[in-house]
Amino acid sequence: MSIPATSIKGKAFGDRVLLVLVILLSIVMIAPVLWVIGLSLKDNAELMADPNSVFHAPYTLKNYVNTVGTSSVFIWVRNSIIVSGGLTLGTLILSSLAGYGFARLNFPGRHVLFVIVLFGLAVPEQAVLVARHQIFSVLKFHNTYPGLILPGLSASFGVFLMTQYFKAIPKELDEAAMLDNASRFRIFWKVLLPLTVPAQATLGIFTFLGAWNDYLWPLISATNKDMYTLTVGMASTQTNFAQSEGIGFLMAQAVFAGAPILIVYLFFQKYIVTAVSGAAVR
Amino acid sequence: MTADIEIRNVSKHFGAMSVLEDLSLSIKAREFIVFLGPSGCGKSTLLRMIAGLETVDSGEIAINDQRIDHLPPGKRGIAMVFQSYALYPHMTVRDNMAFGLENIGVSRQVIDARINEAARILEMPHLLERKPGQLSGGQRQRVAIGRAIVKEPKAFLFDEPLSNLDAALRTRTRIELAQLHQRLQSTMIFVTHDQVEAMTLADRIVVMNNRKIEQIGSPMEIYDRPATKFVAGFVGAPAMNFVAATLDRSGGNAKVKFADGMAVQTEIASNLLTDGKCTFGIRSEDVRIVPAGQGDADGVVDVLERLGERTLIYARLGDGLQVVGSDAGNSCVTVGDKVGLAFDGKKSHLFNEAGRAWHAGEAWHG
Repeated sequence: MSIPATSIKGKAFGDRVLLVLVILLSIVMIAPVLWVIGLSLKDNAELMADPNSVFHAPYTLKNYVNTVGTSSVFIWVRNSIIVSGGLTLGTLILSSLAGYGFARLNFPGRHVLFVIVLFGLAVPEQAVLVARHQIFSVLKFHNTYPGLILPGLSASFGVFLMTQYFKAIPKELDEAAMLDNASRFRIFWKVLLPLTVPAQATLGIFTFLGAWNDYLWPLISATNKDMYTLTVGMASTQTNFAQSEGIGFLMAQAVFAGAPILIVYLFFQKYIVTAVSGAAVR
Repeated sequence: MTADIEIRNVSKHFGAMSVLEDLSLSIKAREFIVFLGPSGCGKSTLLRMIAGLETVDSGEIAINDQRIDHLPPGKRGIAMVFQSYALYPHMTVRDNMAFGLENIGVSRQVIDARINEAARILEMPHLLERKPGQLSGGQRQRVAIGRAIVKEPKAFLFDEPLSNLDAALRTRTRIELAQLHQRLQSTMIFVTHDQVEAMTLADRIVVMNNRKIEQIGSPMEIYDRPATKFVAGFVGAPAMNFVAATLDRSGGNAKVKFADGMAVQTEIASNLLTDGKCTFGIRSEDVRIVPAGQGDADGVVDVLERLGERTLIYARLGDGLQVVGSDAGNSCVTVGDKVGLAFDGKKSHLFNEAGRAWHAGEAWHG
């Protein structure tokens, strides 16, 4: 069967239009990042005099030197890494175990319990903030890492995702492993869990990014400056020090703050694309 | 290592639905047994009960005189090959085969030796470091069998293992399985709905239907002397011809009369039978094609199937019933021809209204 020439021409035109759109969108996306980097390389006084000076030399690393020397940004980055990493690890462990349980174990009340877990998806965080704050106050969890990590571990989405993923794995694999004399935990650990790596990657990436960018709960729970996560710390400098320390300094902090997540993106780019496209077609 | 397997009065229900009813069966050591039956007859459930993947509601299962129905699957000393192969996708072939042995603490040296031996038997040493996703269907099948072999089980269970293979590979694997059985001399139980697999592989076939065993026997017993009309119709390709008839018991051997007035003299003793309606059964190879008017019935040819060594003739009788006969490979018959059908009374079968069978030259066989 031959394809009409007009159809090929039409396709090529459509491709060009798409390409132009992609380029435009990329510029829209990358412009703020370049703007931040540009500002971070300019002297504060120069920026105050002329904001457009960002487009021409001289450039300086003074803001970065100041950030390393005086800012708490490294402490906040460390806190964010601990909180996001701990939350991600905990969510993966708990969601996997719960998902396996809901998908494979028969126990009384399983369906009711699963519905209750799913109900968690429908409850907004704001609705439980006050109650959670009071509980954590009683438990003296505020201004601690557990205080920042624990609320995120009740991950309804993670449990739901892992349950569905475990359900999709053929039960014959469990049965083959049972005939191979494997214990239930060994079947989970050696046979099924390795098969859920794509789901773990998806869940892990979304959880890490969500925790890294979370602002509301850390703002409430972390009142001690040394326990700020990056989002809270950055916000505090913007409100309190923006005028005195200058926009260039703030932007240098922002570059430091963005670096870890950029590294995560670079290393896990393949998984992030898969996760996002997977979520799109689901 | 091999096993006598004894199944005594076993029943199984899924909720309110009965799947197997009071089923008993003895399987001798080194025997190749095939459970044959249509989908939903309970054959896979029975196999899974032997494996321990389904519980036994009542009755008991014993291997070498020891009850095993209370033991978990891994403690029964059996290996199973699944229809889907159930290979662990993230493990190499070697790791797939080693997994079961590692779980029972077999030393690495012994594991390696067994894997190498199994790989040699199955001609797959070059596949050991590959993962299942890198293998063809036939190769996966071999790995699944290899995974069973290395465990040196008392019995092998096969759950429709050939159904995912193409026709040519299925035939080849069937032959290899038969050779494997001869080599290993183990008890093997094979579940299939394909009667060709059953006929070619089995020492004995267990024909199952509707939660029960219809007949147990060697392939040729099942084929030549089916115990019931179901077995007669299920085993054999093409299926046995059935024609509704009435009995004439006036002679020593029964004569059957068809609705169109034609009659066939059988060699089934009249005194074994009771009066009334019956079904006359005869296989296609026992229906010769003769010139019209010279046989027991005349029919018009609907379809020809040329199989090479013979030609199957599908002829429609006057009352609309289709009968399959057999002619020479180079048969000159064409579609639309009027032909005569000569039934060989010595090979005929009669079935009463309950479906029980009588065969030419012997007494009631049930």
